[in-house]
Amino acid sequence: MDNNIEKRIQNLRDRLTYLNDIFAGKHRDNAELLEEKLLAFAERVRAEALEDPYAELASVEDLFSYVERRLEDNITAMDRVRIVRHPQRICLRDILENVYDNFTEVGGQDEYSLDPGMLIARAVITRRRGKKTYTQSVMVIGQEKGHGAEYRNGGSVKPWGNAKARQYMRVAETEGIPIHTYIFTPGSFPIEDYPGAAQQIARNIYCMAGLRVPVIAVISEGGSGGAEAIGLADKRLMLSHGYYSVISPEGAAAIEGHLKAGERATPELIEQCAHNLKITAQDNLRFGYIDRVVQEPPLGARPWHFDFFRHLRQEVLRATDEVVISTRTLPVLKGLAMARIRKPDANLDEMYTRWGLSAAAKDRLLAHRQQKFLRLSRLAARDRRPFFTKMAVATWDWASKPWVRFKYDFYRKHQRRIRTFMEEMGNEWDVFKGRLLAPWRRLTRKLPNAKSDAGSTQDLTALSSWSGEGQRKMWNYLSPRYKIDRAVTCPNSAAYGCLDLWGPDLFAEFAGVCSHCGYHFPMEPEWYVKNVFDLGSVFEFNSEIEAGNPLGFPGFDDRILAAQKKTKSKSGCMTFEARIDNIKLVVAMLMGTFRGGSVGAAEGYKFVEAAQRAEKKRYPFLAYVHGTAGIRIQEGTHGVIQMPRCTVAVRRYIESGGLYMVLYDTNSFAGPVASFLGCSPYQFAVRSSNIGFAGPGVIKETTGMDIPPKYHRSYRALSRGHIQGIWDRREIRANLKQALLTIGGRNLYYR
Amino acid sequence: MDNAQEHIPLHDHKILVANRGEIAMRIMRACCKLGTAFTAIYTADDAASGHVRLARELGGEKSLYRVSSYHDANELMAVADAAGCTAVHPGYGFFAEDFRFARRVTKRDRKLIFIGPSWKIIRELGDKINTKRLARSLDVPTVPGSDRPIYDELEAERIAKTVFEFQEQQGIDHPLVLVKASAGGGGMGIEEVYDPDQFRSVYRRIRNYALRQFKDEGVLIEQRITDFNHLEVQIVADRSGRSPVHFGTRNCSIQSSGRQKRLEVAPGFAPEALSYTFDADRVLRDIVDYSLTMARKVGYDNVGTWEWIVTRKGDPFLMEVNTRIQVENGVSARIARVRGQGDIDLIAEQIRIGLGEPLGYGQADITFDGLGIEYRLIAEDPNNNFTPWVGHIEQFTWKPQPWLTMLTHVPTDEQYEIPTEFDPNLALAIVWGKDLEEAKARGLEFLRDLRLTGHNATGEPLQSNVDFLKTSTERILRF
Repeated sequence: MDNNIEKRIQNLRDRLTYLNDIFAGKHRDNAELLEEKLLAFAERVRAEALEDPYAELASVEDLFSYVERRLEDNITAMDRVRIVRHPQRICLRDILENVYDNFTEVGGQDEYSLDPGMLIARAVITRRRGKKTYTQSVMVIGQEKGHGAEYRNGGSVKPWGNAKARQYMRVAETEGIPIHTYIFTPGSFPIEDYPGAAQQIARNIYCMAGLRVPVIAVISEGGSGGAEAIGLADKRLMLSHGYYSVISPEGAAAIEGHLKAGERATPELIEQCAHNLKITAQDNLRFGYIDRVVQEPPLGARPWHFDFFRHLRQEVLRATDEVVISTRTLPVLKGLAMARIRKPDANLDEMYTRWGLSAAAKDRLLAHRQQKFLRLSRLAARDRRPFFTKMAVATWDWASKPWVRFKYDFYRKHQRRIRTFMEEMGNEWDVFKGRLLAPWRRLTRKLPNAKSDAGSTQDLTALSSWSGEGQRKMWNYLSPRYKIDRAVTCPNSAAYGCLDLWGPDLFAEFAGVCSHCGYHFPMEPEWYVKNVFDLGSVFEFNSEIEAGNPLGFPGFDDRILAAQKKTKSKSGCMTFEARIDNIKLVVAMLMGTFRGGSVGAAEGYKFVEAAQRAEKKRYPFLAYVHGTAGIRIQEGTHGVIQMPRCTVAVRRYIESGGLYMVLYDTNSFAGPVASFLGCSPYQFAVRSSNIGFAGPGVIKETTGMDIPPKYHRSYRALSRGHIQGIWDRREIRANLKQALLTIGGRNLYYR
Repeated sequence: MDNAQEHIPLHDHKILVANRGEIAMRIMRACCKLGTAFTAIYTADDAASGHVRLARELGGEKSLYRVSSYHDANELMAVADAAGCTAVHPGYGFFAEDFRFARRVTKRDRKLIFIGPSWKIIRELGDKINTKRLARSLDVPTVPGSDRPIYDELEAERIAKTVFEFQEQQGIDHPLVLVKASAGGGGMGIEEVYDPDQFRSVYRRIRNYALRQFKDEGVLIEQRITDFNHLEVQIVADRSGRSPVHFGTRNCSIQSSGRQKRLEVAPGFAPEALSYTFDADRVLRDIVDYSLTMARKVGYDNVGTWEWIVTRKGDPFLMEVNTRIQVENGVSARIARVRGQGDIDLIAEQIRIGLGEPLGYGQADITFDGLGIEYRLIAEDPNNNFTPWVGHIEQFTWKPQPWLTMLTHVPTDEQYEIPTEFDPNLALAIVWGKDLEEAKARGLEFLRDLRLTGHNATGEPLQSNVDFLKTSTERILRF
C-alpha cells in the first residue's frame, strides 16, 4: 500500500478521534457512519481491491468534511471547551512556525525552561512592497500547551512564568517592537511562591496597562486570571472556536451545585454552566470585550489547517497595522491607510506599515488603550441614578476640569514658590529684629521680675487640661453580636490555650480580637466604616449603581436581591469619601457580606468612578477589602474585564501622582487581588486576612495538590513579599493615619 | 446602680466564693455568720487546702465544685448557674479588680450580684490617670508630675525639667524623675532618671517600649519619691454610695525586697508613743478626709482601700485605690469597735452591704482601741531576695492567746504540701495590744512560741520569714 495513503488514513483516524472526543458521546450516528466508511475503505485499500484509491480517498475525505461542516452548526459552548483542550488543537509553536517567517525561542527549550508553560519568542515577519522587502520584528508571548505534553502543564503558568512574560514585555518596550500575545491557558497555576500567583498577575496587568508599544492579543483558551496576565491589549482577537471565561465550566458547576470536596458535577450541569456563562467568541464580541473573531475551519483549527494559519497571519498583521495607524494624527492619511488595510481582500503581506512609533504617538497609543478599557462593561451594571443626577455629574465633571487644572497644576506650584520666598524674608527679618532689640533685652533681663522659661511648680500638682479626657468610649459602632450572653471559643484555643471569651466583651470592647492570642473574629463592614473614619465624615456616593444579572444567569436575579436585602446595599462595593483626623480620602470598600465580596460590573464601575474621583480631587485613595471571593462568576466576562479595567483606572490615578493604598481584612482571593488590588505598591493586611490566588479547595480540585497549613495567612503573604505590613484591627485607624502622613507626605499626594 | 435588684433577705442568697485559701475560708465563715449559703470551688492541686475542708465542714459536699482553673470566668459562671448562686465574692487577686468580670456578672442574662464596687467604679479607679485626675480635681494631693499622657517630646522635657527644679527647691539631694508608660502597669515600662541630660534618651526608650508593648506612646512623668511610708485608709460604704465611713489607717511600710507587704500595723502612726518630724495626727486625719472625699465623689459602694505615700516631711500623696477587700483588712477590724462592740468582721460587712443591706451606722459610731500588728507567715528565704520555698510542712503550731487571731488554710493536724501555683502565704497572725509596747511584746512572744518546720524534696529544712518578722517588729511605725 502506498505510504501516502496510509498517512492520510491516519489523518482521518485522528479526525475521527477528535470528533468523538469533542462531542463526548453526542452525534454518535455521524461518528459511526464515518468510522464505518473509513474502516471499509481501509480494508479495501489493504486488500488492494481498489482501482483508484486516491479518488476513493478523496470522496471519504469529502464525506468527513461534509459531516464536520454539518456538525459545526450545532456546536455548543461546552464542545468549544473540549476543542480548545484537545491535544490536536493548534498550539503556540504551530503558530510560530506557520504564521511567522522565522523565530527564536527566548529562554527555554522544551522542558529545559524556567516555565515550559510560558513560551516567549522573538519572531520576524517579512513583508514586501513592490520589489522591496521589509522585515518586522515582534515579541511573541503566550502559553504553550504543546499538544498535551505533560511538562507544559496544560498552559497553566506558574508565577515565575508570568514574571518572565513581564520581563520580555519590558524588553519589547525598550526595543520598540510590537507584542503579540497568544492566550492558551485554562488559568494560572495557583501556587503561592514568590511573589504569589495573584501578585505576579497583578504586576503583569499593571505593566500592560502602561506598555508603550502596540499589543495584540489572540485568545484561544482564555481562562480568567491566567488570560489577563498577558491579555491587556490594544486589539484583542479571538479564535472562533475558543472560549474566554471567568472560570472553567466545571468550576462554575462545582460552585453552582454547592459541591463538597471530592464530589463531581454532573455533565448536564457542566454543559448548562458553559452555556450560561456565555463564553464563546460571538458572545464576547457582542459584549465588546474582543475586537474581532478569527474564523476557524469547521470544528476548530488543527495543525494541518494551513489555510487557517495564512488567515491568522493576515488578521494579526491587520490588527497590528490598525493599532499603529490609529496613533497617527493626520485624519486624511489615517483614513486612507485604514481603508486600505481593512479591505477584506487586501493582502497585508504586500503592504507595509512602519511599526515604530514616535514618543507622542506612544502617548496616544496608551491613551487609546486606557480609554478603551475604561469604556468597557458600563452597560453591564445597572446605573439607577436619576437622569438629572447623571447629567449634573457629567456637567460638573466637564465644567470643573479647567478649575482643577488651574488649582493644582498652576496655582499650587506657584503658591509654593511664594511661600518659600516669604519664609526666607521672615528669617531675615527675625535676625534683623534680634540685632535691633539686643540692647533692650540686655537691660530687661537684669530686672528682678523677669520670668524663667520653665513652667511653674503649680503645673506639677494641679489638674491640667486634657482634650483626650472622656475618650472612654473606644468604638463608635459595636457589632450587634455583643448583645448575646454567650461564651465564644477562640479557634486557637487548642493551640494557645485561650480561655473562652464572653461575647459581650469580645464583640464590643475587644473589637472582635481574642485577648489572649490576638485571633481576629470577622466583623461587619459597618464596624470599619464607623470606627476607622472620623465620626460623621463618611459621605457615600454612587450608591445607586446596582449589581445586576447582565448574563441573565438563571436564578441569579433572586440571589442578588437576597444579598441586597441582607446587606441593605445595592452592590458589593461601597464607595465613599471620609476623613481620618481631618485627612480626606476616597475609599472603595469591597464587602465580604455581599455575595462573598465578589466583583462584577457594578463593583468595577464604582471602583473606577472612585479612582477617578480621587484623581480629580487629589485625595488619597484607599481600597479597603473587607473580603473578596474573586470575580463574580455569574457575570462571566463582564466580571473578568474588571481586572484590566480597574487596573487601568488605578494606574492612571497613580501616575497622576496619587497615593493608592490597599488594606485586606478577611479572605481576599482571586481576580481582584490578582489585578487592581495587587498592583498597589502599598498593600497592608489585617491579621485576620488570608490572601492568595485560589482557595485551598480550588487548589485541591484543580491541581490535586495538598497545600501546607496556613498557606494563605497574611504572615505568609508578608514573607513572600506580597503585602507590606500586618496590622491589628484595633490599630487600623492609627496605622492608616500614620501611613497617610508618612507615605503621603504633607499634601498627601506623594509626587 | 447595676447591682440593685429587688430586695432578697440575706439567708435566701447563695454566694459563689470565687477564690481559694485563707480568704475563701474567711468568706465562708462570714457567710455562716450572716446565715447565707455559699458555694466553694477548688482545683485539683488545691484538694488538700484548708478552704476545701472548711467548705465540707460548713456546707457539706454539695457546696464544693471542682474547677480546672480559678482564672476561667466561664467556668465560674457555669458553677454559679449550676449551684443556683445569686452573688459572687471574688476575694482578692484573681477577678477582684477585673471590671470586665464584674460587668459580666451583673450584665449576663442570669444576673448575679458582684460583691465589690460596681464595675464602673472598678474601671474608673483602676485607671491610674483617671484616678490621679479625679484626685486633682478634688484638690487631693498626688505625686508631682503629669496627670495625662504626654506625647510631645518638647513638652515632656519641659515637665521633666520642672520636676527636677521642684525637687531642688524642696531640698532633695538626689532628685529623681520617673518616666512610665501611661498605658502600662505592673512595673513594666518604668524607668528612673537621675540626670536631666539623660532624660531625652530614657524618654525615647520608654516611648518606643510603650508603643511596642501597649500600642500607645503616651508617657507619664513624675517625681520619684524614695523616702516614704506606705499608709492605707480602709473605706466602707453601702450600695447607696452616699455615706462612706472609714475603719482607720494602716501602716504597710515593712515589705519584702520585691515590694510585697510582710507586716501591717493599724493605726498608721503612733504619735503618742513615738516622735515624728511632722504632725502625724494631722497626716492621718488628712488622708482619711481626702479618701472619704474621693469615695463620696465617685459614689463608692463597697469596701476599698486608698493607698498613700507619706514623705519624711509629712506630705501625703495618693498612690492608688484598691477596689477590693485586702489581705490586711483583719488588722483594721481588730482595733475597731462599732457602738462599743468589738469583733468586727469586715468581710461579713462587705457581703452584707454588697447584697444591698444598708450599713446601719455612721462614722460617729466607730471607735478605735489599741494597736494591731498583722504578720504574714510565708515560706521564703528573706536573706536570698525572699525566694519562695516549696516543700512539706510537718509541724505548724502556735500557742493560743486571747490577743491572737490566726487565719490559715494550712492544716495543723497533718502534713501539708505547699502548692507551687499560688503564692506561698501560709498564715496571717493578728496580734493586739493596748499600746505600741504591749503589741510589740506580744508579737515577739507569738513569734517565739511559733513552731513551723518541714522539709523539701531534697531534705533541706523549711525556710520562713519568722526571723525577718522578729527583727522588723522592733521598727514598726518608726519613720
